[in-house]
Amino acid sequence: MFILAIFILLILLSFATFFMGSRAEKFAKVSSALIVILTVTYALIRFSGPGAGGFTSENTYAFASGLGIYFSIGVDGLTVSLLILSSIISLIALLIANRKEYTTSFYGLMLLTESGLFGILLSRNFLFFYIFWEIVLVPMYFIIGRFGGERKDTVSLKFFVYTHIGSVFILLSILTLFSYYYSYSGVFTLQMSSLLNASFINNSSYLPLFWKDFMLFGFLLGFLVKLPSFPLHSWLPDSYTTAPYPATVMLAGGLSLMGGYGLFGIMLPIYSSISPIVLWALIALGIISLVYFAFTAMFQMNMKRMMAYASASAMGFVTISFAAGILDSTSSIKSIELSGGIFQIVAHGIIMALIFSTLYFITENTGKENIYQMGGIHREMPWLSSFLLAGFLASLGLPGLAGFIGEFSIVVGIFQTIGWLIFFVILAMIITASYHIWTAQRSLYGAYNENLGKVSDASRKEIAILASVTLIIFVLGVYPNLIFGIISAYVGGII
Amino acid sequence: MNILSSITFTLHAATQASVYYYPLIFLGVVAFAMLALGIRGIDKKVYAGITFAAVLISMIMILLNPYDEIVIGNNSLLFNRFTIFFVIVLIISVLYIIFPALRGLKSKPEIFYATILFVLIGMLVSAFSYNLIIIFVAFEAVSLGTYVLAGYGKQKRHLEASAKYFFTGTIGTAFTVFGLSFFYTATGTFSLTSEVVSSSPAMLIALIFLLIGFGFKLAIFPMHQWAIDAYDGTENSVSAFLSTGTKILAFMILLKIFLVGFSGDYHYVFYLFVILSVFSMTYANLAALSQNNLKRLLAYSSVAQAGYLILVVALVGDTGIGNVAYVAVAAGMFYSLVYIFMKGGSFLAMNLVNKESVSISDVSGLARKSPVTALSFAILLMGLAGIPFTGGFTAKYYLFLSLIEGNLWWLAVIAILNSAISVFYYFRVIMFMFWKEPTTESNFNLTPYSKAPVIVSAVIMVALFFFFYLLPTLNGIAPGLFATMGGI
Repeated sequence: MFILAIFILLILLSFATFFMGSRAEKFAKVSSALIVILTVTYALIRFSGPGAGGFTSENTYAFASGLGIYFSIGVDGLTVSLLILSSIISLIALLIANRKEYTTSFYGLMLLTESGLFGILLSRNFLFFYIFWEIVLVPMYFIIGRFGGERKDTVSLKFFVYTHIGSVFILLSILTLFSYYYSYSGVFTLQMSSLLNASFINNSSYLPLFWKDFMLFGFLLGFLVKLPSFPLHSWLPDSYTTAPYPATVMLAGGLSLMGGYGLFGIMLPIYSSISPIVLWALIALGIISLVYFAFTAMFQMNMKRMMAYASASAMGFVTISFAAGILDSTSSIKSIELSGGIFQIVAHGIIMALIFSTLYFITENTGKENIYQMGGIHREMPWLSSFLLAGFLASLGLPGLAGFIGEFSIVVGIFQTIGWLIFFVILAMIITASYHIWTAQRSLYGAYNENLGKVSDASRKEIAILASVTLIIFVLGVYPNLIFGIISAYVGGII
Repeated sequence: MNILSSITFTLHAATQASVYYYPLIFLGVVAFAMLALGIRGIDKKVYAGITFAAVLISMIMILLNPYDEIVIGNNSLLFNRFTIFFVIVLIISVLYIIFPALRGLKSKPEIFYATILFVLIGMLVSAFSYNLIIIFVAFEAVSLGTYVLAGYGKQKRHLEASAKYFFTGTIGTAFTVFGLSFFYTATGTFSLTSEVVSSSPAMLIALIFLLIGFGFKLAIFPMHQWAIDAYDGTENSVSAFLSTGTKILAFMILLKIFLVGFSGDYHYVFYLFVILSVFSMTYANLAALSQNNLKRLLAYSSVAQAGYLILVVALVGDTGIGNVAYVAVAAGMFYSLVYIFMKGGSFLAMNLVNKESVSISDVSGLARKSPVTALSFAILLMGLAGIPFTGGFTAKYYLFLSLIEGNLWWLAVIAILNSAISVFYYFRVIMFMFWKEPTTESNFNLTPYSKAPVIVSAVIMVALFFFFYLLPTLNGIAPGLFATMGGI
C-alpha cells in the first residue's frame, strides 16, 4: 500500500509541475527528492533483515476483471533496487538541470518519465506494464525534440520509432500469452504471476512451439532494443548525444534499466523455456556489444558520444550474465552471475549519471565537448576533473568502486559457461580501460589549452551533488551487500 | 445460437416492427419541414439547431426501441443490437458536420441541412438492411447527398473535388450494380441471408465487383485516389464527415456483404482482403510520409486506417464463424467508434488555421498560442498512431488481440510495422506544433468555435482508453452480424 501511495503521489506531483509556472524547477526538485526519501524509507522497512528480497504482497485492484485486467502492484528484490536507482537518477537529472531554456514543461516531462519508470517496475499486470513501457517514450520524445541539440527533429523521431517497434513486439508476445493461457486454465488473465508460468509455457499442447518461439522473440526484441544490444543500438548514440544533459542522465540511468528489468524480471522467471541456442545467441550478442562498442567508443572525438558507446558497452555485460547464468548448472555460480548482472544495471546507471553530470558542468563552463578541444583543464577545474576521473575509473571497473563489483562477479561466473570466449570479454575490459584513461589524459591533464580562455570551477552546490553521487558509488563498491543481498535473495528465489 | 427460431413472422410482430420506422420517418419529415422553412430566410444557426435536435431525437427513438432480433419484410431489414450500435456510431459522425459546417456556409443553409438529414436516413436504412438492393439504393442516396455536400462551397476547388468524387463514385456504383447482378444470377436472390452457399464463377465475379464497388466508397488501395483529392478539396467539416460517416458505413456494409452474403467463399474473401489491407496500410503510410499538406496527410492516414479496419474481414474470412470471429468483429466495432472521434476531430483541427490548404508548417507554434488545443490535437494524432492513454491504443490492442487469436501472426506483424511507420508522420505534425517557431503571425483561428470540437474529441479519446469493458459487451453484440444466417 505504501508503495502505491508513493506511485500515485509521484504521478500527481508530475502533473502538478506543469501548472507551477516559474516555480516548477524548485517544485520538481523538491518532489523528486521527496520521492527518493520515501522510496528509500520503504525499502529499508520492507527489505531489511536476512533473506529479504523475495516477493512482497501484491496489491490488486479490479480494473476490468472480466478481461483479466487488474491494476496490480508488487515489489520484489529486483524491483526495489531498480526503483531506488530510478528515483536517484531522476533526482540527479533534475538537480543538475539549471539552464534558462528549460521551461516548466521540461520539469514536468522529466517527472512524467520517472512516473513511467515507476509504473513499469511496479506493474504486476502485463497490460499496465506495456502501457507504462510505451508511455515512457512520449515525454522523452518531447524532451529530446524540444530541448535537444542539433538534429533534434530527426533524432527524437528515430528514438521514438525505434523503441516503439520494439515495444509493439512485446505487445504481440503479451497477447500471445494471453490468448493461449485461456486454453490452459479457462480464465482470461493478464497477471504476470499467472502468465509467467513455466509449466504452461513449456507445455506444447497448451502453447504450441511456434507460438512459444514467437513470444520469446517478441520479448527479446523489445528488451534488446532497450538495453541496447548490438544490432539494435543505432538509436542510442544519437539520442544520448542529442538529448540535453539531464535527459541523457535519465536515458543512460533510467531508460536502459528497462531492458535489464525486462530480462531479469520477465524473462528470468520463465528461463526454463529459453532454448540453449537462443541463450548462446544472446551471449554472442552480448560479447559483440561489449567489444564492438568498446572499439567504437575508442574512436569517438566527442566525449558525450564516447560515453554513450561506453554505456552501451557496459550493458553488454548484462546480456551475457543473463544468458550465461541460465546456462550454468551450478546454482551458487548462477546466483553470483545473475546477481552481478542486476548489480551491473544499478552500478552502470549511477556511474553514467555521475559522468554525464560532470561532463555537463564541464561543457557548461568551457563550451567544449570535443576531447581534443579540452586539455589540461585540471589546472582550472580541479573539482570537476577529479569527479570526471572518478567516474571514468568507476566505469572502467576499478576495484573499490561500484562498477568493479558487477563486472567482477559476472566475469567470475561466466567463465565456467563460456570458456575461452572469456578472452573477448577481458579484451573489451582492457580496451574500455585504455580509452577511458587515454581520454582522461588528453582532456583533463597535460598542458593547459590556452584557447579555452577563463573558465571557472564548479560551484558548491554542484560539488555537493557530484560528491554525493561519488559517495554512493564508493559505498556500493566497498559494501555491495547493501543491495547485493536483496538481489541475490531475489535471484535465489527464482533459480 | 439458433436465433432464427426466435424470429417469428406473425402479423403482430409486423405491426410491432413499424415502430422501427418512426425515427427514419421523423428525420424525413423534419428535413422537408426545413426545406419549407427555407422561404422565410431564417438564420442558419436555427437550421443547425433544428438538425441537431432532430438527430438527437431520432437517436433517442432508436435507443428506446426494443432490441429484439426483429426482421422486417423477407430478411431485408434487421433491427438488433449490432445494427443499432453502428447506427449510433453513424449518428455521432453526423454531429461532426452539423455545427462545424456553419463557418463556411454562405447561402441556402436549409438545403445543406436537409441534405444532411436525407443522407442520414440513407445511412440508417443501409445500416439496417440485409438486402443487397436496399443496401444499394440507400447507399446511393448517401452518395448523392454527399456529392451535394462536397460541392456546396462556391469555390472552384470545392467544385473540382465534388466532380472528382462524383465521377469516381459513379464508377463505383456501376461496379456495384454489376456485382449485384452477378450475385443475383448465382443465388437467385438479393437477400444476403440466403442459405445458398455456392462457389460458382458468377459468385466470384460478384465478389470481385462488389469489392471494387464498395472499395471505392471505403477508399482502400487501389481505389483511394479520389478520396485524397476529395478530402483535400472540400470544407473541413464535410471532409470530417466523409472520412468518418461514409467510411464507417462502407465498412459495415463490407462486413455484411462479405461475411454474411459470401459465407461460402470465405477462402477468397480472406485472400482478397489480406492483399488489399496490406497494400492499403503500406502504400498509404509510405505515401503519407512525403506529404507536406496536412489535409492530404490526414486523407492518406484515413486510407491506412481503412486498411486496419478491413483486417477484420480478412481475419473472419480465415477463421470462419466462431468465437474468434466475434472477437474480431467486436474489435472492428470498437475501432469504428474510436475512429470517428480521432478522424473527425483531426479533420476539424484544420479549422484552426485560416488558410485554404493547410500545410504542416502552418501549425507550427500552435502550442505557444494555445497549449490546450495543441495538446488535444496531439492526443488525436497519438490516437491514430496507437500510443497508450488514447482510445486508439485500446482499439489497436483489440485488433491485434483478435489477429493473434486467429493465428494470423504475420498479419499482426505487418500491421504493427505499419503503425510504427505511421508514427513518423503523425509525430512530425506534433513536432511542428510544439517546437517550431510560428512562421507567420496571427494566422490561427482560435475561436471557441474551432477549438471546441478538437478539445472535446481529445477528451473523448482519452476517456475511450479506459473502456476496456466495452469489448466484452461488443463481443456479445457481434454475433448479431450473423444473426440471420441460416443454420448457424
